[in-house]
Amino acid sequence: MTKLAQWLCALALLGSAWAALALAPPGLQPPAPLRRALLPLPVYLLVAFGCYSLATVGYRLATFNDCEEAAAELQEHIRAARADLRRRGLRLGDQ
Amino acid sequence: MATATDQLVGFGLVAFSLVLFVYYTLWIIVLPFIDSDHGIHQYFLPREYAVIIPVAAGLLLLLFIGVFIMFVMWKSRKHAKKSD
Repeated sequence: MTKLAQWLCALALLGSAWAALALAPPGLQPPAPLRRALLPLPVYLLVAFGCYSLATVGYRLATFNDCEEAAAELQEHIRAARADLRRRGLRLGDQ
Repeated sequence: MATATDQLVGFGLVAFSLVLFVYYTLWIIVLPFIDSDHGIHQYFLPREYAVIIPVAAGLLLLLFIGVFIMFVMWKSRKHAKKSD
């Protein structure tokens, strides 16, 4: 089974469980506070996932290892290579 | 080591999403189990807004992404015509 099929199966399972509890007839409904917390659950999970994504992006941004000397050296190599190729007659795009 | 701005922005994002997550969790999950005469309810908007605000924000985000894609595609079309 592909990963997409697995995810869709899990989604369908959780979705039907939620729908069964949310759309239950008045006799079979869960107790009132639980039901009030249950109904917005899909939106809540989406917002929670959004928060997790934002936090991950922020954390990886903050802990990224810049290598400034390597970057400067690379720029130097690029400049030298472009000068060399231009000398040999290759027309380069500008940058 | 990331630059100081990067670290500031990065950890700022982490703090912001943490605050948002805690507030939203309290709002959606914890508040229904607290008696309606407790003082904590004054810090939270009526419950409908807990769904309306994220949905509206999501639609705005989609709108922004769509407009951005349109803009970029329009620009690249003009460039392609120029170089032909």
